[in-house]
Amino acid sequence: MFYQTKFRSITLIAALIFLASYASFGSYFAREIVVEIIILAILAISLDLCAGFGGMVSLCHGAIMGVAAYAFAIMSAKLGWPLFPSALIGLLAAVVVSGLVGWVTARTNGIFFIMATLAFGQMAYTFFFKSRWLGGDDGMGGISRFDLSAIGLEMNNSLTFTYLGLGVLLLAYGLTAMVMRSGFGRTLSGIHVNEDRMKALGVNTAAHRAKAMAFSGFIAGLAGLIAAQHTLYISPELLIWTTSGEALIVVILGGLGTLVGPVIGAILLVLMKHEISDYTDYWHAFIGLVLIFTVLAGGRGVFGQIEYWLNSLRSRHHDPDNHQTAGKPQGGDHA
Amino acid sequence: MDLSFWILQFLNAMQYSMLLFLLSIGLTVIFGLLHFVNLAHASLYMMGAYIGISVAALTGSFWAAFFLAPVIVTLIGAMLYFTLIDRMRTAGPMNQVLVTFGLIFIFLDLVRMGWGDIALGLDGPQSLSGTTRFLGVDYPAYRLFIIALGLGVMTTMWFILSRTQIGAMIRASVENTDMAAAMGINVSTLFFLVFCFGCALAGLAGVAAAPILSATTTMGITILIPTLIVVVIGGLGSLEGAIAGSIIIGFMETFGAVMIPSFSAVLTYVLLAVVLIWRPQGLIPARG
Repeated sequence: MFYQTKFRSITLIAALIFLASYASFGSYFAREIVVEIIILAILAISLDLCAGFGGMVSLCHGAIMGVAAYAFAIMSAKLGWPLFPSALIGLLAAVVVSGLVGWVTARTNGIFFIMATLAFGQMAYTFFFKSRWLGGDDGMGGISRFDLSAIGLEMNNSLTFTYLGLGVLLLAYGLTAMVMRSGFGRTLSGIHVNEDRMKALGVNTAAHRAKAMAFSGFIAGLAGLIAAQHTLYISPELLIWTTSGEALIVVILGGLGTLVGPVIGAILLVLMKHEISDYTDYWHAFIGLVLIFTVLAGGRGVFGQIEYWLNSLRSRHHDPDNHQTAGKPQGGDHA
Repeated sequence: MDLSFWILQFLNAMQYSMLLFLLSIGLTVIFGLLHFVNLAHASLYMMGAYIGISVAALTGSFWAAFFLAPVIVTLIGAMLYFTLIDRMRTAGPMNQVLVTFGLIFIFLDLVRMGWGDIALGLDGPQSLSGTTRFLGVDYPAYRLFIIALGLGVMTTMWFILSRTQIGAMIRASVENTDMAAAMGINVSTLFFLVFCFGCALAGLAGVAAAPILSATTTMGITILIPTLIVVVIGGLGSLEGAIAGSIIIGFMETFGAVMIPSFSAVLTYVLLAVVLIWRPQGLIPARG
C-alpha cells in the first residue's frame, strides 16, 4: 500500500529542485538531459503503478507512450487539428489502448502477462514501423509545441519548456499518489497480494486491473505528449520493447512501489548514461551490471533501500519487538 | 508464380523454422524444468556466431568452429548458471527478466569490445558451397544442411525425452520437481545438465546461422522476440510445442512476407495475442 510519507515528499521536492537548478544553471545540453529525465520519470511512474502496486510487469508501456505521441501527431500535424484537442485525443488513445490491453490480459499472470504485454507492444511498434502514411521507420515531423503566449509563456524557449515539463512530472506524481491512496489504489494492492481473497470480497478483479492499466496509460500518455513536443519529431523507436525495458530498469533501480523511486531512478540512469558515455562507448554493460547488482542486492532499489534502512532504524528506536516487519517495500515481495 | 517458387518458399520457411527450433527448444526446456525465463538465451546464440567466426579464422576450418563454438558457449552458460541463474530460480519472473535483460546489455558490449560494430561474415564449408537440385529446384546446399540439422536435433531430442532414462527423469521433473526429487532423482544436477544442453543448442544455432545471416550485434535481440513467441505459442516447457510453434511462426513469417507483405509483420503478434487469450497455456502444453 502507498503512503505519502514525509521522507517521500522531501525526496521528491529535492529531486525537482535539483532538476530545476540543473536546467537553469546548465547549458542547453543540460536542459535536454533534464527533459529526457522527465519523460523517463513519468513513464516509470506509470509503470510503477502497474508493476509495483498491481503486480503487472508490463513490457508495453513504451508502446502506450508512443501511441499517445502518434495520436497527437496524427491529429495535429496530419489532420490539422488545433493542438489542445489533439493532445486530448492523444491521451484518450493511450487510455483506450492501455485499458484494452489490460482488459484482454486481465486473467494472465506472471510470465504470461509479461509476454502478452510484450506482444501487444511489439504489435503497435510494428504497425507504426510499417505504416507508410506515418513515415514508417523514418518517423514523422511537423509537430508544433503548444502556444502558451496568451499567458506569457514562450514554449520554444528551452528553459520554459523544461520548467513546464517539471510541472507535468509533479502533476503525474500527484495524480498517481492520489489514486494509490484512494480506495481504488488499496484495492489494486489487495489484488496484487491475494487476488482470490479480493474476489471473495466481491471485487471484480479483472475489471479493476484493466482500469488500473487504463489510468496508467493516461500517465504514460503524458510522457508521450512531452516526448512529441520536445523534439517535434517522433519515430517508432518510442514504442519498441526495449524502451519499456528501460522504464522497468528505472523503476527497479529507484525502488519498486514507491513512486518517488522511479523519479530517482530516472535521474540516476540518464545521468549515468551521459557521464559514462563521455569516457567509454560501453555504457550498456555498465547499466547491465548495475541492474544485476540491484536485483541481487534485494531488489529494493536505491530509494527503496534508503527508506528501508530509515524505517528499520526508526522502528528499532520506538518498538524493538517489531523491527523485522517495518519498512517492507510495498508489493516488492510478490512481483 | 509457379510451383518451383512455392517449393523455394517452403524450403526457406523450413530453414527459418529449424533455426527457431534450435533456439526455442533450449529456452522452453529450461523454462519447463527450472521455471527460469532466460532472455539472455539469444545472447548466447549471438556469442555462438561470433565465437564460431573467431575459431574458423584461427583454425581455417568451418567444421572446427561448428563443433567448438557450442562447447565454448556451453562453458559460458555454465559460468552464468553458477553465478546467477541458480540463485535467481525462485526469484520470480520480474527479477529473472531484469537480470537477464542486464545480461543482454553486458553481452552486447562484450561483443562490441571483442569484435567491433561491423557485421562479420563466416564462409560455409567448402563441401556445402554450391546449390543442390532438391524437389525440382536448385537450392543452396548449406541451407539444406540446416534443415537436416534441425530435423536431426528434433529426432534426437524426441528420442532422448521419450525413450531414455534421462528423458524420463526430465519429464518427471517437469511434471513435479518435488516428487521427482523424492524418487531419488538428483534434480539439481539434472537442472544443470539441461541448462548446459540448452546453451549448447543456442551456440550451435548461432554458428550455423552465421554463414547465412552474418554476425551483427543486434542478431540476438532480433531473434529473441520470435523465439519467445514460439515458446509461448507452443506451450512453455514442451518439446512438441516448440516444434509446432517454430513451424507455425517460420511458415507464417516466410509466407506472410510473400503473400501479404504489408500485414505479415503484425500477423505473428496477432497470433500470439490470440493464443494468449484463448489458450494461455500454449497449443501443446507440457504436463505439470
